[in-house]
Amino acid sequence: MNNKIDIDRYNRVKKTTTIHYNMEVNQVLSEIIDDFPDKLNGMTYFYDRFRPIEKNKSLYPKEKKTIASMCIHVPVEIIYALGASSVRICSGAYSTDTAGADFLPAKICPLVKSTAGAIYLDMLPGNANPDLIINPTTCDQKKKIGEMEDEIGKEFYVLEVPPSKDSEEARQYWHRSVKKMVKKLESVTGNRLTRRKLKKSIKMILTAQAEYRRFMKLRRKAPVIFGKDAQLITNAYFFDNLNSWTEALATLNDELEERIAQKHHVVGPRAPRLLLTGSPSIFPNMRTHLLIEKLGGIVVYEEFCSSSRMLSDTVAVDEWFLYDMVPAVADRYLKPNTCPNFTPNDDRIRKILLAMKEYDADGIVYQTFTGCQLYDLESRKIGKELEKAGYPVLNIELDYNPKDSGQLTTRLEAFMESIKDQKRTKRKKI
Amino acid sequence: MKKINIKKYINNANVSRFRFWIQLISFFIFVYGGYFFIEIGSRLPIFSCPYVPGSPGGCYLLGVQHELNSTWHTIFSPRGISILKSLGIFLLFFIFLNKAWCGFVCPLGTLQDWITRLRKSLGFSFTRYDEMSFKRLKVIKYILLALLILIPLAINNSFFGLPKLSHSMHTPFCKICPARTILPLFNGDTSQIYIDFTDTTTIILTSLGLMVAALFLVGSFVKKRFFCFFCPMSALQFLFSKIGLLRLIKNGDKCTRCGNCSRVCDVGITEIADDILSKNIIKDDCMMCLKCVEACPEEGALKVKVLNFDIFSATEEGFFKRYGGTSKFETSNKDDVLNSNKNKDE
Repeated sequence: MNNKIDIDRYNRVKKTTTIHYNMEVNQVLSEIIDDFPDKLNGMTYFYDRFRPIEKNKSLYPKEKKTIASMCIHVPVEIIYALGASSVRICSGAYSTDTAGADFLPAKICPLVKSTAGAIYLDMLPGNANPDLIINPTTCDQKKKIGEMEDEIGKEFYVLEVPPSKDSEEARQYWHRSVKKMVKKLESVTGNRLTRRKLKKSIKMILTAQAEYRRFMKLRRKAPVIFGKDAQLITNAYFFDNLNSWTEALATLNDELEERIAQKHHVVGPRAPRLLLTGSPSIFPNMRTHLLIEKLGGIVVYEEFCSSSRMLSDTVAVDEWFLYDMVPAVADRYLKPNTCPNFTPNDDRIRKILLAMKEYDADGIVYQTFTGCQLYDLESRKIGKELEKAGYPVLNIELDYNPKDSGQLTTRLEAFMESIKDQKRTKRKKI
Repeated sequence: MKKINIKKYINNANVSRFRFWIQLISFFIFVYGGYFFIEIGSRLPIFSCPYVPGSPGGCYLLGVQHELNSTWHTIFSPRGISILKSLGIFLLFFIFLNKAWCGFVCPLGTLQDWITRLRKSLGFSFTRYDEMSFKRLKVIKYILLALLILIPLAINNSFFGLPKLSHSMHTPFCKICPARTILPLFNGDTSQIYIDFTDTTTIILTSLGLMVAALFLVGSFVKKRFFCFFCPMSALQFLFSKIGLLRLIKNGDKCTRCGNCSRVCDVGITEIADDILSKNIIKDDCMMCLKCVEACPEEGALKVKVLNFDIFSATEEGFFKRYGGTSKFETSNKDDVLNSNKNKDE
């Protein structure tokens, strides 16, 4: 961008996109907050995380390096241990989606377009200005935007992810690739990875995970929190300060415990309980959650890389030395990972089936973003398996453009009606 | 109500620490117990080596080699019943702890764990076999077991018309067993470190024994439980492991295959994580140290049972107790180097 016209154009696009983005965020937030009168005090912290930040302010301290990651495969324990801030920059904004469409093919996944647009326009969560963007080789589309360094104007680091996770070869490959990433991050941050720091950061994330697991346990017990709120919590984990996030979640958990004791539920016992899976919902793309919950249902579990997949699985280290800690951390992002970029991916089916039972869900909504091949390809197999197990499945396809909500509403409504019917007949039989 | 609390207490416990103390006590008993007039019997399912002056009992492998050192005629005469009797005694001991004999009681196993501790305190990394070598090498213990049964028989009987083996081949496994050479050292007895120059066979066997002893020390320094992987006792135990009272049970439905269990496994068993179909998950190399159960964060995915009673289960709470992160957030570590987010928000 040497050309003055180009710079002018860039600034113009950035200005309009920012305006659209702020409008979008405020509108979705008001939908999330104001359309549901039953409010949790503990959620205020998380709602505030998503409000637009002023231009020159940032959530991240200037003296620290900021490392951005584009998928859950990036071992954030290592980023924290090297004294850097970590931010996951996957975006759900329609406004940056249109910006990304400027230099990306029209038919690709809106998440990728939106993320690329956000990087290009410097509109990352918490106004992050990453020193390095780690781009794991997950789906083809994300892989390829890593090659657009020139166009996007940011440095990408390719973290090689094996295409499979079961074989020993894949694991070796992945361990090596993580070790290589450690070297790169050491040179970017100027710090050396030490045993003490990595241990501390593993424990820090374990604490967050313990709190998250407690949260999920409470969600399992009784419908005391809407899925849209739960999704925002895990979404805030993308970019928030980890310790304050954990603290806020602990406060919220205490509140939820109280609610359970008082039997203060957000929906009645007849509301359809749904499990959501597929392409990840990322704020402000909260449509599926909002539609379901406005129609009287509740999302009880999300099998998304923006929620449970990111936080559930833990690190267990046998010997607290770097030689064992780094592979242990790496393993957490490979072995239990149910990302569809791995083949075979039967773990995902098993995970969903278990969650259906544990969370007492009545049906599954499988969302696919237009152009997201991997989730689309897996939907059929998973749908079949779930139907075999006796659960109703609804496949929906959507993109970030909120205009097709009408048709979605109709389909979701019909799906939920049929679930209600089933529940009714079941109850009659009993 | 109180019962539940005991269960929770156990599930939250640090079994590895408990195991360390049990191992220490049993090492003392099985290496020095004889001096305190303890007598446990000579058909034990562990390397309670009779060559150790202070040993309170005997290893069944020695017994079986002795007993089979006889002709077919004697074996199938009423005197052969004693062979069955000692097998019965061995099994009676064995079924109580199943393979936990290896992980909790065997003095040679304990010694390897101590060598591992030494390595750890020096900060050296451990090694692991890759999948192929693991599969290939694990057969060795069965070969050793077969040999230690066949060689004594071949001393007195002729197999397929072949000549009988020399009598200096008696108790062949003991001659190469590292327990015979190393454990007496703890009693200050160096008399087992020798090469027997009676004839060629004894020279070969005893010098092999010394080599195995050296290999044992070096091997267990670089690899956890190096010798157990080749131990014929472990193979013999595994043949009967199905009737053990203590069992390790896996619920595959709850498993996420995160691999925590297999990565903390001292012997490097991968099936514990990857096998989601078997219920009984004890493998031949398993020594039931229960580290896998400790490392499992999935509620009830791994369980230790005695008959049908759960005595130790994997729980979320227990996992977080042992591995850091407490389930309730206590301190916010404001001075944490990782958390210097000063200009957060306004």
